[in-house]
Amino acid sequence: MSKGRTFRELPPLGLYVHLPWCVRKCPYCDFNSHEAPEEVPEAAYVDALLGDLADDMPLVWGRSLSSVFIGGGTPSLFSAEALDRLLSGVRALTALSPGTEITMEANPGTMDASRFSEYRAIGINRLSIGVQSLDDRALQSLGRIHDAKDARRAVDVARKAGFDNLNLDLMYGLPDQSLDAARDDLAAVIELEPTHLSCYELTLEPNTRFAAFPPDLPADDTRFDMQAAHFDALSAAGFERYEVSAFARDGQRCEHNLNYWAFGDYLGIGAGAHGKLSFADSGDIRRLSKQRHPKRYLEAANASARLAQERTLPLADTGLEFMMNALRLTDGVPSGWFEQRTGLSLAPWHEAIQRSVEDGLMQKDPQRLAATDRGLDLLNTLLERFMPEATGPVRPVFPLKPVT
Amino acid sequence: MQQNIRNFSIIAHIDHGKSTLADRFIQVCGGLSDREMSAQVLDSMDLEQERGITIKAQAVSLDFTSSSGEVYHLNFIDTPGHVDFSYEVSRSLSACEGALLVVDASQGVEAQSVANCYTAIEQDLEVLPVLNKIDLPAADPERVVDEIEEIIGIDAHDAIHVSAKTGIGINEVLEQIVERIPPPTGDANAAARALIIDSWFDAYVGVITLVRVIEGRIERRDKIRIMSTGRDYQADDVGVFTPKRLKREALSAGEVGYIICGIKEIEAARVGDTITLAREAASEPLPGFKQVQPRVFAGLYPIEADDYENFREALQKLRLNDAALHFEPETSSALGFGFRCGFLGMLHMEICQERLEREYDLDLISTAPTVVYEIADTRGEISYIDNPSDLPPVNVIDEIREPIILANILVPQDYVGDVIKLCVEKRGVQLNLQYLGRQVQLSYELPLSEVVLDFFDRLKSCSKGYASFEYEFKRFQASDLVKVDILINGDKVDALASIIHRARSLTRGRELAERMKEIIPRQMFEVAVQAAIGSHIISRSTIKALRKNVTAKCYGGDVSRKRKLLEKQKAGKRRMKQVGKVEIPQEAFLAVLQVDRG
Repeated sequence: MSKGRTFRELPPLGLYVHLPWCVRKCPYCDFNSHEAPEEVPEAAYVDALLGDLADDMPLVWGRSLSSVFIGGGTPSLFSAEALDRLLSGVRALTALSPGTEITMEANPGTMDASRFSEYRAIGINRLSIGVQSLDDRALQSLGRIHDAKDARRAVDVARKAGFDNLNLDLMYGLPDQSLDAARDDLAAVIELEPTHLSCYELTLEPNTRFAAFPPDLPADDTRFDMQAAHFDALSAAGFERYEVSAFARDGQRCEHNLNYWAFGDYLGIGAGAHGKLSFADSGDIRRLSKQRHPKRYLEAANASARLAQERTLPLADTGLEFMMNALRLTDGVPSGWFEQRTGLSLAPWHEAIQRSVEDGLMQKDPQRLAATDRGLDLLNTLLERFMPEATGPVRPVFPLKPVT
Repeated sequence: MQQNIRNFSIIAHIDHGKSTLADRFIQVCGGLSDREMSAQVLDSMDLEQERGITIKAQAVSLDFTSSSGEVYHLNFIDTPGHVDFSYEVSRSLSACEGALLVVDASQGVEAQSVANCYTAIEQDLEVLPVLNKIDLPAADPERVVDEIEEIIGIDAHDAIHVSAKTGIGINEVLEQIVERIPPPTGDANAAARALIIDSWFDAYVGVITLVRVIEGRIERRDKIRIMSTGRDYQADDVGVFTPKRLKREALSAGEVGYIICGIKEIEAARVGDTITLAREAASEPLPGFKQVQPRVFAGLYPIEADDYENFREALQKLRLNDAALHFEPETSSALGFGFRCGFLGMLHMEICQERLEREYDLDLISTAPTVVYEIADTRGEISYIDNPSDLPPVNVIDEIREPIILANILVPQDYVGDVIKLCVEKRGVQLNLQYLGRQVQLSYELPLSEVVLDFFDRLKSCSKGYASFEYEFKRFQASDLVKVDILINGDKVDALASIIHRARSLTRGRELAERMKEIIPRQMFEVAVQAAIGSHIISRSTIKALRKNVTAKCYGGDVSRKRKLLEKQKAGKRRMKQVGKVEIPQEAFLAVLQVDRG
């Protein structure tokens, strides 16, 4: 039975819900989003989501949810009524304790903001607003449909609606952006006093309009200077960097994302949603994904039609995938989590870790697996050392007695 | 039977249509069905078809019924056209009684054809001039006939007009071959002697040798003897290429065909060796071929140290197939264990590396090619070095002598000025300049090291592709040469050293260090690149440390894309060699070839 992995305990379990529609596709976005039809079929989609979740439940019997994240697309295209039905369904099917983090993403448009208080009322307790920039010219170059005024108002409305756990997305390294402009942009966003900031460098992802028609981005060194300036300003404003691009004030980190980065489990429902689940009995880790296209997802009559791909994570790849996540956290994870969550011994990895400590890419702390600041900047270089062919053959944790 | 055999080669410049012409012969004589005729069947190596050139000699036997009704047995031995492979040409010619000189009726005579044609004349071959591409509007047969007569000096008034593409004149050529090329001589009843023209390794049957039987007769199941080693083998299979392998009972004097005799050991059937029969052995071997001297040397190293043994085996197999390839083990402090390999020229080197990588699935790094230098030391002793890092300390060197070649260049008048400028820049000394019709023949003495650099490419580009050249080694000549070292983070990298004329050394050294800066990607730490002559640092540049290399967003979504990114990044490093802590891409080792441009 055993595939060579042993889990002593299973990690926390999150739930990701994907709502795939947007008013318009942004030129830099490579997420699974689709231009919305005149009328979003929200009732049918919520039905499909609940069917999807019900079908996935046997995979996670008895486990409670540690977080819920409603992402997209633009989830705020959905009415509070529809999302209420979704959340009620989720509560009926799963063990969802009060106080569990439930995040949703929202666009800063007027229409969207008008729904914020309702969203709060149905139990959503964390809001993530895709501000991206407070510079109207930059917003235009990013193809956004809102302006800075909308964004400011949205934040105001969100706070008044009772969202005290509020994330704003900010991008830097934008087309033709100067270092000063990036600085000013961040300062303006900090002034809005969010509790959490996701601060990304704009990347040209394959299969996007920007990849096909690349805009003029600031030079490498300028972009790096922007990062350095941002880190300083954020730290001065009381934000703590806890992941490559994530900053939190007063310890208000995002539980849901933390679980990804700690190689936890998650269910994914909705078009193109991905899930990752560990199984104590077989020692398997499985990755599942659902039909990407909303139309095909909606038409799927049953679980197998909805499923786009299901694969068992090969032993040899497990360690790398763990590191790809865990090393993004500034504090990394306790060393013991490697064995706990991959089901494999850390021993074959010691040499690569040792070398990375010597090269100043990983922290010299036997209790933790964590990159240094330099290691975070050069994470791809660091991760290369953990690719399957770079480390020795994997072996399971000893003893081989699984605990459920 | 011997009376009806004709052995011939084709001498032609690249692109003058030799392979197409050969294909026509095969078609006319029915060697292959139309279905089997893929364009240019003779260039059977993938590489040959891709590049549209012939690298190895090949042979095809065809039956041609002449207008008199008589059936003739034609053996056509294909030859390569590039200057690097001229030794293959002379080998092929030695198996023939005649040769077709194929000249493009619009482009005229090219230097390589001239050189090969002289080889044919020296070997007493009957040379038949053929004007190809006669159907092209730009064809100017009268002018080209004049050129042939003027430059090569053979009678060309009755040159056959052909278009291999459309089929014009093909029969006429075949008739002329039968009529004008003499049949082979050689006593079929004498003790057997067959010359190995080529041999190659086949994964299924072992070594296949292509032979020209000079005297006697070799039958299937005969016990044969390789004369140089005295070892005996059973001839399991003899026959001819049509170009498919066709079994025959025997090969007799005058015939060209193959022998397969279960030779597995590498190097047991070398080109130029003589095969005889064990029961009735000939007393003397045939003269064989002049050993070809490699002129260009480079270190080849496997990127993965584990591949060293496979690499050695691959070289041995390739060597069997390519007598011009030389190699011996070499160790570099930068690149580890590898081989110093000798080649005939740059194209030969490129082809060898590509064949090794493709046919033997190896990843190789090559150092910049260099030539052999003759070193006279202060004790009056002479030594030869083919690796710049082997150069003895300056204080024990009396004189460094570099190889000088005699280059013959043919170029249309319009470009003479540019070609002369190039030769001067390459330290050439003009010996002769002669107007031959529309073309000019230039003779220069040039240091081979300069020719190895980028002479051929530059010659082609400054003459819009019209200039052609061939060269031969002349002598070693004392020259004021210095070794330029490249230091990476303070350490000399032996594989990046080069020997350069003193007058150019400062500029070249600086350019080299600058090129390194462009080629070597940013690393985790700052990298200093210096160029030095002896202990004197002539240039320094810095490669700034890599600052950022991280994916901005990573959540629970599709991990496979992020993994692919890492795999791509890793694959990019496959062609890099780690020297100390610095990863150096292949291009860096060849950078010395690319400086000094324009």
